[in-house]
Amino acid sequence: MKSIIGLGVALAAALSFGGGSPADAQRPASAPHDDGQWTMPGKDYASTRFSGLAQITAGNAKRLHPVWSFSTGVLGGHEGQPLVVGNTMYVVTPYPNVVYAFDLTKEGYPLRWKYRPSVNGAAIGIACCDVVNRGAFYANGRLFYNLLDGHTVALDAATGKEIWKTKVADLNRGETTPMAPLVVKDRVIVGTSGGEFGVRGWVKGLDVRTGNLVWTGYSTGPDAEVLAKPGTFQPYYEKGTELAQKSWPGDTWKNGGAPVWGWMSYDAELDLIYYGTGNPAPWNTEQRPGENRWATSVMARRPLDGALRWAYQFTPADNWDFDSTQEMILVDLTVKGKPRKALVHFDKNGFVYTMDRATGELLLAEPYVQVNWARRIDLETGKPDVDSSKTTGASKGTVKDICPTLEGGKNQQPAAFSPITRLFYVSTSNMCMDYSVANVSYIAGTPYLGATTPYKAGPGGNLGAFIAYDAARGKKVWEIKEPYPVWSGALATGGDVVFYGTLDGWFKAADARSGKVLYKFKVGSGVIGNPISFKGPDGKQYIALYAGFGGDWGLLSGDVRSDDPDDVRPPASFMPDIARHTSQGGIVWIFGL
Amino acid sequence: MAATLALHIMFAGMMPAQQRNAPPSVSYDQHVDAGGMAPPAGTLENPLKGDKQAAEDGAKLFSSFNCDGCHGGGAVGSEGPSLADGRWKYGGTDGEIYHSIFYGRPRGMPAWGGTLPPDAIWRLVSYLESQQPKRDTLSTTSW
Repeated sequence: MKSIIGLGVALAAALSFGGGSPADAQRPASAPHDDGQWTMPGKDYASTRFSGLAQITAGNAKRLHPVWSFSTGVLGGHEGQPLVVGNTMYVVTPYPNVVYAFDLTKEGYPLRWKYRPSVNGAAIGIACCDVVNRGAFYANGRLFYNLLDGHTVALDAATGKEIWKTKVADLNRGETTPMAPLVVKDRVIVGTSGGEFGVRGWVKGLDVRTGNLVWTGYSTGPDAEVLAKPGTFQPYYEKGTELAQKSWPGDTWKNGGAPVWGWMSYDAELDLIYYGTGNPAPWNTEQRPGENRWATSVMARRPLDGALRWAYQFTPADNWDFDSTQEMILVDLTVKGKPRKALVHFDKNGFVYTMDRATGELLLAEPYVQVNWARRIDLETGKPDVDSSKTTGASKGTVKDICPTLEGGKNQQPAAFSPITRLFYVSTSNMCMDYSVANVSYIAGTPYLGATTPYKAGPGGNLGAFIAYDAARGKKVWEIKEPYPVWSGALATGGDVVFYGTLDGWFKAADARSGKVLYKFKVGSGVIGNPISFKGPDGKQYIALYAGFGGDWGLLSGDVRSDDPDDVRPPASFMPDIARHTSQGGIVWIFGL
Repeated sequence: MAATLALHIMFAGMMPAQQRNAPPSVSYDQHVDAGGMAPPAGTLENPLKGDKQAAEDGAKLFSSFNCDGCHGGGAVGSEGPSLADGRWKYGGTDGEIYHSIFYGRPRGMPAWGGTLPPDAIWRLVSYLESQQPKRDTLSTTSW
């Protein structure tokens, strides 16, 4: 830990000796062209969350200031990110999933339109972890997004008029839809949440014009329903047939979880979409002996017919609720001297995986936070070397001091990659947990959990950190320690400035090379959304992000809420003072120079 | 005026039949009483009130029927509201809590009347009643 900070200081010193000018001179030239828009959740199909805009630099970032803000009128946790297409900014709120379209050409950015869908309020009690929404996807004049109650909607981006609305998920089975869709070619691809409700996870491909269902690919069960077709399905490690059924006892795969609620990526050359699946259900592993494929896995599918090309399981027989729904970042890296079409994934389980995205071969896997449930990942077999003293189950009572927690080294908050620094920027949590589970019964529409998992701070006492990571070498380059888990996504930009927000309500800009904080501003509520960058109609670079405390932390630190006089909760044991620094509130912010 | 009177007479005429067929009902502070027609109050009483064994059984049911998955261990709140803070959205009398479990509530509380027998629901009510603070100790927080 000390040596990492030392390196950061050394880098900062080296840069300051040069007065910043050598780096400044490189930046505009090496920054890829950027049209100034942000049309999909991850900025591009590779999910880099990198904007080539380079007006904001380490030299001038201290002049950043808020230029506009807007209350969404909604108090739930504001995950996800705005989109900017042309001169319009689009914002999706948590339940009740209102969409706002702002006219960026007029003073005060008035609304062009507002869309207020009818959403079934029962979804509030079926969503496991606050009523979040992870945003919309723009394609060909249309805006696509999911309502929490299991509907996918297509809107005319110019008018807000509803073009189609398709029911994809069933609340009565514990399914909700907080994720952002991915639009590829003629398909809108969506998945279901509900790993805590014993769903059978799936991804669906809808016709982009009509919203009609074209294919469903399940995470578990028979090959025919997982769409693991002979000849097409070629996993790198596991061989054989019916892998997603035989790795479960009896018919437990039918309520086996493996939901899909995170982010999706797409490689046009390989014509493959990539996404991660969530935890197997229930949390008590003794009720599902086996490896439980394809829970806690990455899936590579063809977008048009859903056919599975390969899959790889990060945490076989998950004992710790280590969902793998975090983003898959597609970058070309030189790993061990060889250029690779890589996929980089920072898993909840605390390891960062660098894989060959064409084949599913594991190239590198190193911890990026404190990890003790496994000693290492075997690159030959692809399997973790699990510490048996950290395995859990109803017969094992309380298992102490497991790192990381089920909130993950990282959770939903997506990382960014800068093609200039070749580094990944990652919001992390630094926590450990005790874990006890009980036998549970499946009751449709109710939680399928049965766990008690108190958290505590990891080494150093800070609950989180924002880090820069070199995935080609498996090394952390610098870190900014934060008192609370960092739950916002990261943004990297062509000006070598990176951006994130904190749970106690700070928006921060940092030097991409040194980790030095260049600017911060208190945005009114904790940040769990993802900053974006765009070029306004005035030609200037702006940063937009949501403030809006919530997500898992809204459940665990319920004392942050003040909106319900009939629901008053004690502080969270592991961060009893968070409510001293923030409360709920949905606000869209724009910052500029 | 005439229309209002007619409405009043119509409701008045309907009332006895409604009361005869009405399920155990609920009256809570948030009801806005328009025209003197407050909903009938719940009259059910917990036959197991104060029974320690019933509260302990209810604690087990609270876990085995996955109530803790939403309301949290100890009913202190998670995705669902706290049921241990002495505050009730739909009323905190025996009959009102029973009603909430039996029929469910909007925003995701499932109806358990078809799944759990009355005796089990009363044990859950006993458990929740045993979790209430003696007085509200959470109304102020300071650092």
